[in-house]
Amino acid sequence: MSKKIREILGEDAEVAFAERRYAVISEILPKVLKGAKPLTRSDMLDKALLNKYLGIPIFLALWWALFRFTFDVSTPFSDLIDMFFSWLGETTSGAIANEQIASFLSDGIFGGLGGVLVFLPPIFFLFLGLAILEDSGYLARAAFVADRIMYKLGLHGKSFIPMLIGFGCNIPGIMATRTIDREEDRILTILVNPLMSCSARLPVYILVSGAVLGGYAAAGVYSMYILGIALAVLMALLFRRVIPYFKGKPSPFILELPMYAKPTLRNTLIHMWERGVLFLKKAGTIIFLGIIVVWLLSSYPWNAVHVEDKFLLENSYLAMFGKTIEPIFRPLGFNWMGAVALFFGFIAKEIVVGTFATLFGLQAEGPEEVIPALKSSGIFTPLTGLAFMAFTLIYLPCIATIGVIYRETNSWKWTLFTVIYELILAYVVAMAIVWIGGLLGYA
Amino acid sequence: MAIRVAVIGNPNVGKTLIFNNLTGGKAHVGNWPGKTVEKKEGKCVHKGVEMKIIDLPGTYSLTANSIDELVARNYIVEEKPDVVIDIVDSSNLERNLYLTLQLLELEANIVIALNKFDIARDLGYEIDVNELSKLLGIPVVPTVATTKEGMEELRDAVLKAAREKRKKRKIEVSYGKKFDELILKIQRAIENDEELSKKYPTRWLAIKVLEADEEVLKIIDRSPCKHEIVNQLLEMKG
Repeated sequence: MSKKIREILGEDAEVAFAERRYAVISEILPKVLKGAKPLTRSDMLDKALLNKYLGIPIFLALWWALFRFTFDVSTPFSDLIDMFFSWLGETTSGAIANEQIASFLSDGIFGGLGGVLVFLPPIFFLFLGLAILEDSGYLARAAFVADRIMYKLGLHGKSFIPMLIGFGCNIPGIMATRTIDREEDRILTILVNPLMSCSARLPVYILVSGAVLGGYAAAGVYSMYILGIALAVLMALLFRRVIPYFKGKPSPFILELPMYAKPTLRNTLIHMWERGVLFLKKAGTIIFLGIIVVWLLSSYPWNAVHVEDKFLLENSYLAMFGKTIEPIFRPLGFNWMGAVALFFGFIAKEIVVGTFATLFGLQAEGPEEVIPALKSSGIFTPLTGLAFMAFTLIYLPCIATIGVIYRETNSWKWTLFTVIYELILAYVVAMAIVWIGGLLGYA
Repeated sequence: MAIRVAVIGNPNVGKTLIFNNLTGGKAHVGNWPGKTVEKKEGKCVHKGVEMKIIDLPGTYSLTANSIDELVARNYIVEEKPDVVIDIVDSSNLERNLYLTLQLLELEANIVIALNKFDIARDLGYEIDVNELSKLLGIPVVPTVATTKEGMEELRDAVLKAAREKRKKRKIEVSYGKKFDELILKIQRAIENDEELSKKYPTRWLAIKVLEADEEVLKIIDRSPCKHEIVNQLLEMKG
């Protein structure tokens, strides 16, 4: 029936009707409304920020400023936390006679957890910056600016907000897709949401780029976010073209732009705290457990690993396992340590960092600063480091996100599809980085 | 018997605040049956009359394109609340009145709350409340939800509207000669189905048929008047 009517009337009736309604309104308005709205400061700002040509560059510049801010301001705080955990580890290992318990506390718990908790400051500062952007009213404008491009690319404008939320955490990002009307648009947005670089991946970027990219560290981190956005758009385009289920044009979208406002300190801090505290909770639960598992596997069999005064990580269960899966990652230039870090990272991506922290701590007889340790270990070259970051960005979202994807799509098929396409994509992109970098003459 | 009052409006017009002002903040929160959309119900007693107040989802229009809009419009069409409070942002009349026109087509018994009246004034707007009420043929009450201004007047207006029931509206959007004739013809066809025309406003159904509204077409598909409508459309096409 609906097809028949569309055939007869064409698509225009609905638009024509809407136009008539607005025409009636514009007949009423002059009769009841006096006094013109003056151009407010909000309007003037919008003229610049929403400008057809300037909008996108301004968005990118603000995003870059956000990351510089996150990176630069948080460093001293991270150093303090690092010093605290190192001191804690050294003190405990000195005070406890039983060497298994001493190692467990100092390398496993304080080393591993400390290695993750040093990223508390950047995460809090990232959320502080995001909260300021949001409370000032800019974030809604960013969605508006992006919509113009997204609609042209065949994506739904409402997809952008879940994507932005995904920068914090993919789980609320995926849940926010509920505001998208058409089921096809919604599922498409869910499928690409994990490509938005959530805050759990930030520690991995900071660690690896800090260790191998030197002065370009912040640029390396920024590039991961841009890569995530680019891939999400590309994948969405690809799926829309290739998978018959997604065929069709996205429905139009209305977005209300709130007035600009000066963010209040209280609200901003509350926003920052609400999101940042989730990281703390995760550190206390799933990351904590993951790190214990990594410590256990890397410290046992105890007698084979601890021979006389030496620590032979190569003999551990972890190394055995790592070397089994290492061949898969060899083309990407990751050794077995990188392989196990990624393997455990699918529980929660922070565990990638925790794994490195535990491993280096064990070898150094006590917690060590992770970034210099990673640097001196020589596991990554700048190129393979970048590939590792890209792999971390793209491969399997964490286990909790997979759960939410299942719950929101209500389909094992789409859940499995997401997992598989992301694994393949991660591998392909990491490989491409190593390969193209090699061609350009980088090691 | 309690008066059933539905509250509707665009997002960010202060709907929740007005709902809280009316109900004293005591609300029963649940979900619309089978939907992930929140449903809030509260009560208020005004001049000895009990009002049951239902908060509808914030929407810009009443198409079948989103769950929120469907929930809101199905409630109005099917449950037929005694009064619908349409909350309008005074500082943005043009966009907000779009929903009002659609509510008029739904033949709802509307009372407009012209909210954020203070902001509109600060922006330099002067709104002729009486003229607006006269033009639309419905009561209009200026309010400021944040300071609870106009709440008594709003309650009074709701009570009065409930007593007077639906009157003939002043405004009927004309969609141009060609469409108006077509709407009328389809309306006549629908009126042959007594059950349908008892349940739904027939002009609204006719308009929605022309807009190819999925949900309305599902309803029409089950009715014997379907063939007549298709014939009318083909005839128009010539």
